[in-house]
Amino acid sequence: MIGSVHWKFAAAASVLSTTLLMLTSGPVGAWSYKEAAQPYAGTTITILDEVTPLQEAMKKLVAKFTAETGIKVNYELLSHPEVISKGQADMLSGRGAYDAVMLHSPQMGLLLSAKVLRPIDTYLANSKLTNPDLDSADFIDPGSSTLAKFGANTYGFLTWNYNQVYWARGDLLNHPEEKAAFKAKYGYDLAPAATLEQMRDIAAFFTRAKGAKLAGETLSSDFYGIVLEGIRGGTTFWSVWNNFIRNWGGDLFDAEGKPTFDRPENVAAVQFWADLWKSSPPGQAEYSLIDVPTVMGNGIAAQTIAWSDFVLGIDTPKASKLHGKFVYAGIPPKVGQTARRQAETEPSLVAISTHSRAPEATYLFLQWMVDKATQKDLIGSLGGGVPVRNSSWGLPQIKDSPNASLFKAMSESLRHGYAKPRAAKLYEIADVAGAILQDIATGKITAAAGMKAAQEKVLGICQKCFLTAGN
Amino acid sequence: MASILNSESLARDARTTPSRRRTKGSHFGYLLIAPTMITLVVVGLVPFLYAIYISLHDVPYGRVGEFTGLSNYRALLWDGRFWHSVWVALVFVGIAVPIEFVLGMLGALVLNQKIKLRGVIVPMLFVPTMMAPIVVALLWKIMLAGSWGLISYNVLERLKIVSETSVFGSADLALYALILIDVWQWTPFMIIAFYAGLQALPLNPYRAAQVDGASPLQMFVRITLPLMMPLMAVMVLLRIIDAFKVFDTIFLLTGGGPGNATESPSMLGYKLVFEFWKLGEASAFAVIIWVLFFVFCNVFYQIAKNRLKAF
Amino acid sequence: MSASIPRAARAQRGVVLFTLLALGCTITLLLPVAWMATMMVKPEAEMFARPTVWLFEPTLAHFEYVLEAGFLSSLATSLVVAGASTALVVLIGTPAAYAFARFEMWRRDDMFLFILATRMAPPVALVIPLYLIYAKVGLLDTHLGLILAYLTFNLSFYVWVLRSFCRDVPVELEEAALIEGYPRWQVLLKITLPMLRPGIVSSAVLSFIFAWNEFLYAFMLGGRTVKTLPVAIPTLITAQGVKWGEVAIVGISALLPVLLVVFTLQRYIVRGLTLGAVKG
Repeated sequence: MIGSVHWKFAAAASVLSTTLLMLTSGPVGAWSYKEAAQPYAGTTITILDEVTPLQEAMKKLVAKFTAETGIKVNYELLSHPEVISKGQADMLSGRGAYDAVMLHSPQMGLLLSAKVLRPIDTYLANSKLTNPDLDSADFIDPGSSTLAKFGANTYGFLTWNYNQVYWARGDLLNHPEEKAAFKAKYGYDLAPAATLEQMRDIAAFFTRAKGAKLAGETLSSDFYGIVLEGIRGGTTFWSVWNNFIRNWGGDLFDAEGKPTFDRPENVAAVQFWADLWKSSPPGQAEYSLIDVPTVMGNGIAAQTIAWSDFVLGIDTPKASKLHGKFVYAGIPPKVGQTARRQAETEPSLVAISTHSRAPEATYLFLQWMVDKATQKDLIGSLGGGVPVRNSSWGLPQIKDSPNASLFKAMSESLRHGYAKPRAAKLYEIADVAGAILQDIATGKITAAAGMKAAQEKVLGICQKCFLTAGN
Repeated sequence: MASILNSESLARDARTTPSRRRTKGSHFGYLLIAPTMITLVVVGLVPFLYAIYISLHDVPYGRVGEFTGLSNYRALLWDGRFWHSVWVALVFVGIAVPIEFVLGMLGALVLNQKIKLRGVIVPMLFVPTMMAPIVVALLWKIMLAGSWGLISYNVLERLKIVSETSVFGSADLALYALILIDVWQWTPFMIIAFYAGLQALPLNPYRAAQVDGASPLQMFVRITLPLMMPLMAVMVLLRIIDAFKVFDTIFLLTGGGPGNATESPSMLGYKLVFEFWKLGEASAFAVIIWVLFFVFCNVFYQIAKNRLKAF
Repeated sequence: MSASIPRAARAQRGVVLFTLLALGCTITLLLPVAWMATMMVKPEAEMFARPTVWLFEPTLAHFEYVLEAGFLSSLATSLVVAGASTALVVLIGTPAAYAFARFEMWRRDDMFLFILATRMAPPVALVIPLYLIYAKVGLLDTHLGLILAYLTFNLSFYVWVLRSFCRDVPVELEEAALIEGYPRWQVLLKITLPMLRPGIVSSAVLSFIFAWNEFLYAFMLGGRTVKTLPVAIPTLITAQGVKWGEVAIVGISALLPVLLVVFTLQRYIVRGLTLGAVKG
């Protein structure tokens, strides 16, 4: 919350300074990219971003920016692990082939401590460069402020806003026979899970063997109540941390960044998560974040927690025969939750490299990417997408979407979605803990023993894991 | 009996004919190897020496910092995870390479018979080896992925061969599935190499043996095997080196899991470099693996040379 | 004489038997690839449906994306890089392989092992030192840089494999030519090389395949201007799932050039004119 106040203050300050400037320099024309880019026209900048349909749509818009500003943009798209390996190699080695690189929030710790990211505060305060209509307060929080701000500095704009949602089979949840049977068994109405405990009940209820009846039809193969990402690596670890552990009131670190993996709340949450595996397809330990939507699209499972942008790719008439039968919601909280509610989200930005030779031109492009007009175009061309601005929720492609429940779910998850804490060794921690989580889920070790082992291993990596600002 | 003795002596002749004789006292040989040696020093040795240099330093965030002696090495060698990955690779190599070798030799012998359609069979047989490893990994995901893989769904799960888990989702099965993929991909490679080797063998010893009335088996054991020994030794050694470094399929199919069950040294190395950015440790890792191989290759070479007359 | 008819019949039966065996094994081996090939034209919704959809109405939708995304230029880059590095390997590796088989040299075994040593260290850990060096000398994202990097693993492979083929070339012919007064290099060129052709071709084809499929170096040391096919493929693994149809198209079409190479060169692998000279 403090972060967002900062944001608003910064926005107000920039508006104020713009106004002051206008007063002192006399009346000028409205701000335009064309004018702002005048000193940089003809410059070529190279931007590395991740390839998803969102960026592919963005790529088609880039020509507009070049036409208006005269700044040429090599907008290079690579797959997720490649953006991380190649982008970091470029910045850390000082090669500087990229003026700016897309960063997921867990990468921030390493790159901030390596001091290879250029803060944009001077540009933000520069009224020649910054659009007075930037409207920083419009970026979706808490993701935006926890991502872009560190200490006194700002490192970019919230540019991509990946988030997980709860995703279920509406046709099953609304089936009268199933509803009656569920009510008789659990004592409450069958509906999309409003709590994690309901999600568990639904998972158990719908897990059925081949030959049993499901929604009045005989199953030709086994059916599962829930499918979750379970592969080593991927986002399994982050999902368990934010969707389960945090909602149990636990956390993997204390406020100062000291590992606290073996807290009782954490153990209880991990146990709950591991118990869900009993209602999951047998291959779950190999399921990546890509397999989960595939499996949902194939109609193998009743519910899941998945990345909403992947859902956009599956819930189409072309990709799945179940299109139109899905329902969505934000990540459900725990019953009687007193702790801060949280959902796994992955707010990402594009950060200017300290090795960039054209930081101003790059800044203009980054600003243009998240400009209200560009976002409108982007969401228009995608017929949806994942908003980074609150104002985008009101756009017709989202407000009147046939898939309105998905966008409502995104918005709910994003309201509870925070950037990852800044720890230089976060990936190493995720790797060690990820292996242990898999062992817990597959029954190799108990939740209590596993979290204790994780605590010891992580203590071996760092005692105080978070960066402190100004360090 | 006489004919066997006869073919034996012929085989001995075959073994000694070509290269046991070596030309001496010429600078011509040095001239011929010079381009290769210079190239490998530049493109192979220089980066490796640089890796050794890096391995002796602290490398925070990709910048070579303070000299730290052997502490990067200590960090790895004292870590059970490193040795576990070596063990995974040993199991992998120990199962995959012998199967590939035997199947490769059998396949080559079949191809070497008078068969029809060879012009089509040879290139088609080669397809698995020709596929990009990443495509191979995706292909086998399509085959074996739990619940939706073609083989998983239609065979393994229907016949209850695998239940409770999927192939890649099981700590007990995942490694063997990866071995299967390796065998699928690299047996054709062995077949083609051995087939080319068989085709290049001199005919004289066989003609002589035929005159003596030696059986095909005798000819195989007494002529083919000794003559093929150099190529077999080289192919096995190269395959051991490559299989030990298996990466792409693991990266895409299991990520090293479940738990650490399929974390090969290359998988660990990848994480050290691209996820943890521990470049000092990663370089030390490269050097250690290199030393292990260097020792192994020397021993292998001496045995192959002295016992099997392969070099 | 009377035994010759049944023997011919038995030989005939052997041909059929072995042909069927080879064909059967090859087809079994290729079944997964064939399944993947069907995905080139399979509608997305039916790809992994349960129960498996065996018959479907083909679609050309996947081809559109592949053409749009510029895979053809990656194909060209792959051909240039793999082709040039293989040519270089053959050019400088062949004499070396021959020399290691033929000549007594000071510390010959050690030098031979040194050659292999360049293939021993795992590329995942060596690629960053190489990246840092390349960044300094300006070889990143150049064809030359990648071609040189491929020499590290392909030259050693080629020299080691070809050397074992050199042993099968009889010395007598060379010696006869030397006695007749031909200079050494001419003997090498005119007599040894033609006899080594099966070895050269098969080792070169294998090297080509290694270069063609290499990913890690191509990815880290290449980039925008030098983007090979294996590097282009992962961009099909997107956040909206793997574009399976497109992967199948690129994966299968990447096979075609190599298949063509093997198809045209295989006649050199098969014993033919090369060994005619040794007769008698």
